[in-house]
Amino acid sequence: MNKSLRNPLVFTLFILPALLLFLIFFIYPIFSSLYYSLTSWNGVSDTVKFTGLSNFEKAFGDDRFWVSVKNNGWFILFSVFIQVPLIVLFSLLIANVKKLKGLYKTAVFMPSIMSTAVIGILWGFIYEPNIGLFNKVLGIVGIEPVYWLSDERFAMLSILITNAWQWTGFYIVMVLAAILSIPGELDEAAAIDGASRFQRATRITLPLIVPIISVVIMLSIAGAMKAADIVIVMTKGGPAGSTEVMATYMIKYAITNFKYGYGNAIAVLIFIFTLVVTVLYQLLFARRNERIEY
Amino acid sequence: MVRSLKKGIPHAALLGYLVVVLFPFLFVLFSSVKKDNNAIALNPFGIPKEFVFNNYVEAWVNAKISTYFFNSLYISILSSVVSILLASMFAFAVTRMRQGKWNKILFSLVLIGMLIPNNALMLPIYTIVRKLHILNTHWALIIPYIANAIPFTIIILAAFMRSLPSEIEEAAVVDGLKAPGIFARIIVPLTVPAMVTVFIVNFLGNWNEFLLANYFLSNDELRTLPVGMVQFRDQYQMNYAQMSAGIVYSVLPVVIIYAILQEKIIEGVTAGSVKG
Repeated sequence: MNKSLRNPLVFTLFILPALLLFLIFFIYPIFSSLYYSLTSWNGVSDTVKFTGLSNFEKAFGDDRFWVSVKNNGWFILFSVFIQVPLIVLFSLLIANVKKLKGLYKTAVFMPSIMSTAVIGILWGFIYEPNIGLFNKVLGIVGIEPVYWLSDERFAMLSILITNAWQWTGFYIVMVLAAILSIPGELDEAAAIDGASRFQRATRITLPLIVPIISVVIMLSIAGAMKAADIVIVMTKGGPAGSTEVMATYMIKYAITNFKYGYGNAIAVLIFIFTLVVTVLYQLLFARRNERIEY
Repeated sequence: MVRSLKKGIPHAALLGYLVVVLFPFLFVLFSSVKKDNNAIALNPFGIPKEFVFNNYVEAWVNAKISTYFFNSLYISILSSVVSILLASMFAFAVTRMRQGKWNKILFSLVLIGMLIPNNALMLPIYTIVRKLHILNTHWALIIPYIANAIPFTIIILAAFMRSLPSEIEEAAVVDGLKAPGIFARIIVPLTVPAMVTVFIVNFLGNWNEFLLANYFLSNDELRTLPVGMVQFRDQYQMNYAQMSAGIVYSVLPVVIIYAILQEKIIEGVTAGSVKG
């Protein structure tokens, strides 16, 4: 009956602008990266020399590249084994308090809306060896100043702490939303049966939020694989390349050093590694990830 | 006694967490009105003994925070508005127009965009921007920002438009409206609440963006706030009081927006990430 909503010309005109931008800025770049990863192009000259898989061979033999892979690994391990337990703990705590719930929820989210660049600067100041907050606290207990960002032993840890500070609240709000959507009757029934608050949290709430925890872990892994701006702002990958991650290494090569082909090979490897890690995670741990019906 | 203690433990833990979240802000706020590094070093935790507001004047004028601020503002607003416009047209077509399987195919295609780690696409986008001869102009940020926001925006707006009853168009068609009219006069006004949420999320994303802004612009006058701040830090490395004033400038607008709209921001961001 409805001819005007079947008009193919109007349909095309409505679709086209967004679709074009999507194809140019999402789909084309994937193939372009794949193509240039097989060349030794410098990014500007007219001649593009096809070199097969040699960029990938080079990456696998490049010690500094492996340091950056290892640092992405630290990002993943830190978020999964330190951040996620904290996220779950604090979400359960916030869900179970009556007073100040709104304040906690609003305040913990605040760091996640701010620019990573500005947070990097702010924390750089906190880590400052002479007048920064951390060393002042350590000074009170009589510990010598630590060069947080310029000591190879601490630089990566310092970045991880800052990153956790920024994103923990973001995930708490997600998990909290899931907890609050669980029907209250389940909890009340258990309370009548005499289950303690702790028992109800671990035996009832926790199993029900496993799917959202799984989503949080997946998002943390994806976030860990693309971390870059925090590193660039806080340490620029130093000292001595000790905080380099794959994304910063890619940028350093392609844009700063004009090794566009090699940079794209690293971009492709970021794709592949992210895919491998997420698929592995899905296969090993996310089997119970079915939808829960109440 | 034991009961109130039991009730107190969660609050003690949560207040501890709150201090960890908020103290860095307080530290910077206090430092921004202290005289110099020495004043900060002597009294890093407390309220300043004398308030030096000159740091704010210095940062705004000398460090050109004002220029960066307005660059960020207009780039973020323009990009967010245009991506909402284009995405809502797309969402309208795939949810309300009748093109059989095309609706589904096109929508699924755009969904893929949510799975792509966009950092890894930075190099090809750099090349595209250079080939378009817009490198080192504001367009080098505006166009990629618009494109980047499209998948998320389409998903949220399409979900919202799907939930509108189909009788709406039927009545409009009877009244003689064509598809563009239905879109502009009926669907868009009804979708405004979802658009507000998406606008805020996109605006914050653009306002905070660092990588493209850092590598696609080299002219200092064109820089956005996050990049300008990093430069400012590098230049005035030793003056922490002024640097803190700069941080306050770049954090303040976001905190104000957040204070007013926090419900919507949290809602929008969690909706997007759960679905992504």
